[in-house]
Amino acid sequence: MLTTRVIACLDVHNGRTVKGINFINLKDAGDPVEQAKEYSALGADEICFLDISATYEKRNTMFDVISKTAESCFVPLTVGGGVKNLQDFRDLLNSGADKVSINSSAVYNPKIIKDSSEKFGNQCVVLAIDAVENKSFPSGYEVTTHGGRKKTNIDALKWAKQGVRNGAGEILLTSMNSDGTKKGYNLKLTKLISENVAVPVIASGGAGGPKDMVEVVLKAGASAVLAASIFHYGIHSIHSVKKEMSENGILTRDCDN
Amino acid sequence: MKLIIIDFGSGNLKSVENAFKNCVYTNKLKFTIKVTNKLDLISKADHLVLPGVGSFPDCKKGLQKISGLIDLLTDEVINKKKKFLGICVGMQLMANYSREKKLTSGFGWLCGNFKKIKTNGLDYLGRNYKIPHMGWNNLQIQNKNHPILDNITGNEQYYFVHSYALDNAKTNQIIAYTIYNQKIPAIIGKDNYVGVQFHPEKSGNSGQKFIYNWLKWIP
Repeated sequence: MLTTRVIACLDVHNGRTVKGINFINLKDAGDPVEQAKEYSALGADEICFLDISATYEKRNTMFDVISKTAESCFVPLTVGGGVKNLQDFRDLLNSGADKVSINSSAVYNPKIIKDSSEKFGNQCVVLAIDAVENKSFPSGYEVTTHGGRKKTNIDALKWAKQGVRNGAGEILLTSMNSDGTKKGYNLKLTKLISENVAVPVIASGGAGGPKDMVEVVLKAGASAVLAASIFHYGIHSIHSVKKEMSENGILTRDCDN
Repeated sequence: MKLIIIDFGSGNLKSVENAFKNCVYTNKLKFTIKVTNKLDLISKADHLVLPGVGSFPDCKKGLQKISGLIDLLTDEVINKKKKFLGICVGMQLMANYSREKKLTSGFGWLCGNFKKIKTNGLDYLGRNYKIPHMGWNNLQIQNKNHPILDNITGNEQYYFVHSYALDNAKTNQIIAYTIYNQKIPAIIGKDNYVGVQFHPEKSGNSGQKFIYNWLKWIP
């Protein structure tokens, strides 16, 4: 039976892993290639790189990071951040990424979802949605870009449905209200999106520990869980997350496979 | 031994090349690995791998763009009995046809056709079944004695990402299933050719084990 994925995410800035809340006060936290290898060896079911480099030139360092990671890391690799067009998609896939996540560019140019999924297949198009609570929208959530700083005036549920219709194969759903709080994922938001789209939904933003992962799967129906900081800081291991999940009846992949 | 990974413009060739090279390197096997679409190199190769991601019709179109490739493959694999591995859509192409987007014929080397995975009902945790079937799943082994399953048990997990599943297959051509709302043929094959619905190149150590078995296999 299909296991529930635990995804480790690394924020990459100018080719280095960084830590910081909401992209502020970034601290160098090492070599993303080595960390991806380590996560993979420790049982991460997928690795996700989020490139937060500010300039296009610096972003080129990412191709090198991806190709080095893909040479020795044989689990799926998702890369996002600053993807603007089909050429960016192609460059990332050619470097060794398996999936590409798009966020702001999809908001400003929705056609990119359709074009990229037609060109490369919907299995590699991940629509990343950064949602904030906003009662004036029908679903209660608004889509934001730029780490939650820019509002888009788009309803999150409507956007998710539209993205899937246009060919997104997966949704990476981040609650910007929960992100960085370590108080748990946003269950209401995750359940809402998860129950209303046909593709897998990855829960993101707010993981403070293994119990949060269990909760978002059991109560909100998440297909996969993503976390960054709890793994970076060594607060919790992938193993401890999977152990808690299996103790609660959620099937996971053995860490040593 | 010369191994060719066939390049017809489909996505993740780099991943496939990396995983095979790693397997050859770690196990000290004597293989050279090349990614190409050149017919003369393909006909000189000992083993062939056909990866494929995206949709069935797009992959078929990609193959057709390389003049003579499909005929050559059939000659090398069916007549000359060259060892062959199809991965994901590369596996799907080995069957009769697929209904993805529109009816498109495959190579017809194996029986059956591809139909969309059913999404009715709820999974064991009460969640909706999502399409694609995406993530790590285990195998229900049918043909325990097949050499490509050496040391591989039903506990091992493989990475799947697909929305269509083989239907109307011949039981004796199914080597292993996986379960996702329905029984899905995960490894199929006959004589010297095998196809896998999952991605061995993305399946960690379990994937490496499978690649090793396939490389060592003498049909």
